Amino acid sequence: MTIARGRSRSSTIRRHSPQVIVLTVLFCASIVPPFVFLAYSSLHELDPSGAFGAFTFGHFATIFSSRTFNSVLVNSAVYSLGSALLALVIGAAQAWLAERTDASLRQVLYVASIVSLGIPYVLYIVAWILLLGKAGPVNAFLQGTFGGVGPYINIYSLGGMIFVEGLLWSPLAFLLLSPVFRNSDASFEEAASICGAGLFSTLRHITLGMARPALLALGLLVFIKASESFEVPALVGLPGSTRVLTSTIYQRLTLDMPPDVGSASAFGVLLLVVMAVLLQIYGRVAAQTHRYQTVTGKGFRPRVIRLGRWRHSAGALIVAIPFVVVVVPLATILWAALLPYYQPFSIKAFPLLGFGNFEQVLNSQSFRGAIVNSLVLGGAAATLVTAIAAVAGWCVARRVPGSRLLDTLAALPLVFPAIVLGLAFLEIFVHAGSRIYGSLLSLVIVSVVAYMPYGLRYAQLGVIQIHPELEEAAAIAGARQGGAFVRVVLPLLLPALISCWLFVFLLAVRAVSLMLLLAGPDSQVVAVALFDFWNNGQIGELAALGCVWTAIMTVFSTAFLVVARRYQLPIG
Amino acid sequence: MLHVENLTKLYAPGESGGGIRDISFDVTAGEFYTLLGPSGCGKTTTLRSVAGLEEPSSGRMTIADQVIFDSTTRVFLPANQRRLGMVFQSYAVWPHMSVFDNTAFPLRMLPGKRWSDADMRQRVMRTLETMGLAAFADRSAAQLSGGQQQRLALARALVAEPRLLLLDEPLSNLDAQLREQMRTELRRLQKEVGVSAVYVTHDQSEALALSDRIAVMHKGRIVQIGTPHQIYQQPNNVFVATFVGRSNLLRGALLEYDAQDRSARIATSLGPVLCKARDGAAGPSPSAALIRPEHVVLTPVAGSGEPGLNRFRGRVSHVAFLGEATEYVVQVNDVDILVRGIAGHYDGSEAVNVFFPPEKTLAIAVDEV
Repeated sequence: MTIARGRSRSSTIRRHSPQVIVLTVLFCASIVPPFVFLAYSSLHELDPSGAFGAFTFGHFATIFSSRTFNSVLVNSAVYSLGSALLALVIGAAQAWLAERTDASLRQVLYVASIVSLGIPYVLYIVAWILLLGKAGPVNAFLQGTFGGVGPYINIYSLGGMIFVEGLLWSPLAFLLLSPVFRNSDASFEEAASICGAGLFSTLRHITLGMARPALLALGLLVFIKASESFEVPALVGLPGSTRVLTSTIYQRLTLDMPPDVGSASAFGVLLLVVMAVLLQIYGRVAAQTHRYQTVTGKGFRPRVIRLGRWRHSAGALIVAIPFVVVVVPLATILWAALLPYYQPFSIKAFPLLGFGNFEQVLNSQSFRGAIVNSLVLGGAAATLVTAIAAVAGWCVARRVPGSRLLDTLAALPLVFPAIVLGLAFLEIFVHAGSRIYGSLLSLVIVSVVAYMPYGLRYAQLGVIQIHPELEEAAAIAGARQGGAFVRVVLPLLLPALISCWLFVFLLAVRAVSLMLLLAGPDSQVVAVALFDFWNNGQIGELAALGCVWTAIMTVFSTAFLVVARRYQLPIG
Repeated sequence: MLHVENLTKLYAPGESGGGIRDISFDVTAGEFYTLLGPSGCGKTTTLRSVAGLEEPSSGRMTIADQVIFDSTTRVFLPANQRRLGMVFQSYAVWPHMSVFDNTAFPLRMLPGKRWSDADMRQRVMRTLETMGLAAFADRSAAQLSGGQQQRLALARALVAEPRLLLLDEPLSNLDAQLREQMRTELRRLQKEVGVSAVYVTHDQSEALALSDRIAVMHKGRIVQIGTPHQIYQQPNNVFVATFVGRSNLLRGALLEYDAQDRSARIATSLGPVLCKARDGAAGPSPSAALIRPEHVVLTPVAGSGEPGLNRFRGRVSHVAFLGEATEYVVQVNDVDILVRGIAGHYDGSEAVNVFFPPEKTLAIAVDEV
């Protein structure tokens, strides 16, 4: 018995490949400290200098006894649910129209979604605040039409938050749902038609029925993303005192005097628990999405439904959705960028238009620095993630011994909402006492940790598409494992890795919340600069920088979608 | 029952663009009618046009005297108003519904009819019982095996008593043994229910076994309509002869033709061959002699006499033992003749005589395709 155990263990050790061991150590080193620091600071007194004091449950006790805690929880739930529903309805409607019908102008939807992927969150949110704010054109129009006083729409409310966050996610919902509708064999719908079902019966019973698992999974995904979102809660929620979990953490850290790191950490721990539960449920639901995949014979044909007399109404809808979701906000930003001082749209403001803001932004050393920093940060993070993910993804997909642990470790950062991960690393960097705090390197490290799960997923899916026999053939032909990986796997994996790189790049440069607590004067990035502009009321500069940045990002997001669609890789 | 007249649908102009041209046929009540042809011949387009899933560019169709399509009067009845049943190649059984709900769907869609739960249940269960699926009623359709999904698709197609049953290569996704079993069952069910059926397949043995009548299609046109016997024994052109069943085709010039008893002599590369034109054929010119492998008579050289009329000397070049028969390839003057022998045995490279019985040898036209 003892001998047998000893033997089996020695063989396991021998079978563990060095790359799995190195990766496991690396992943542990990157994700364990944030957990430890967050938990530790939530359970200890902190003095103003940041040093840890006595052990305490006080932070949690204060939270649970606070009168606002319940309303924060309810707000968080309502906000996330509302955003998920709105994004789902808009995204599903677009996806169905674009993939399953002969509605006119379908291509408009793809173009609009690609552009919207490149718009920084802050810019998009600011656009809606300008549009729907008290002095905004929409309220002015409603007041002009219906008379009366007081704004008709208050964007600084839970409803306003849901509206903006829902719209923010709708392009991604569309891009993720369109393959669901595209890959469904048309004969399912044709069968319903033969059975006597009309357009709407077929849509209700068959199309939506079959897409239900995918819709549920996507709804849950947006729910999770909204729960951990920071930008809308901070920019739209806080001014109206509608607080959710993420904005409460931010408030405790930056708006309260003195900053309450202990209480913020305690909120962070609570949010981690919520996220862990949600992600667990999501994993179950997502695993069910393939349940309805059935044999589709040689006769597979994705075919379109003839809308008949509805065709042009659908075409109108197809133009209207991107118009509201993309064109109107961008036009608002452009308007703001061209004005020296912001004022709502009016004819008499036309003589004021000019390129002053653009000149200022492009001539300023610090803004140009922010643009360069963002590109360097995105490029470095994307390159590191892609390189590590290629090896780790191969290990996981090929089930190398020890890779299960690797898979679990790599997924752990997902439970950290960006603002909480930023907080945890803030504490690490502060206590590390080195010069790393506030440097661009610190932002790269945090981004690599945060986006590794996405990179790994891309690489893993890419490897799965490569049949193991291709590697085995290389081995038979005399190649060693490393040689087979470089000569056979990597070339075939290249499309997946390119889209992985672009995806991580887009995530890294778009994020505000991850960087907000960490960026220093020497590591200013565009997303944080936009956030600061808004807080300082510099709308013109914000809009001008935003326009320039959106133009640059559209190039990247277009490249990403082209690669992803060409090689049928996931977009989310 | 179904009347199709000059149906045309072209995907692209020109002969090569696919689509169908001038398709006309009639399906009588209770008939099992098969559209047979290679892939791309237009059979599925024809079926989908009957179903209402495709709109033809011209022609006219009626079901039980109701016009469902007429290009001149611009009538196009949508698929969901034609009251048909259809079994798809992929079955298209809805995976998110139970077996019961799949079957009940057509009943729920019947216009102007409210079903009580009991009536609905009785009707659905009766159909499921016929298909041997009653025990699976509450199971999710995604859990069924291929053969069960097939039967469920059939149950769904039949439950609302359709005017016409359309079947699009329904057996092609099944494995060989199950396919044969379902073939028998399909035929039995169709006769039992008494519904007219239009069946599409590229498999000639399925077509021969199942059909009352077959329309052979080629390049978007119907090239021959007939009973399985007529199609197999009296193909009216080379395409039908070679597509349905296997055959030895000997091309050559027509030497003489006797219109009285329809006998013809054709100068083939083996020598003159005496054969018979099919019933009702005009003079076969230019011509070929066609003989099925099972009709070729193989005899030992010793005792069967010298080569003569339709009798040629050859050498066995391949032997394949199939169990119930043996197949030979016999080389005669560098021409390979396929022979299917039931009795006797010949070794490879053995010299043999082959004989083409004149009454089993068909003179057919080459250019009718």
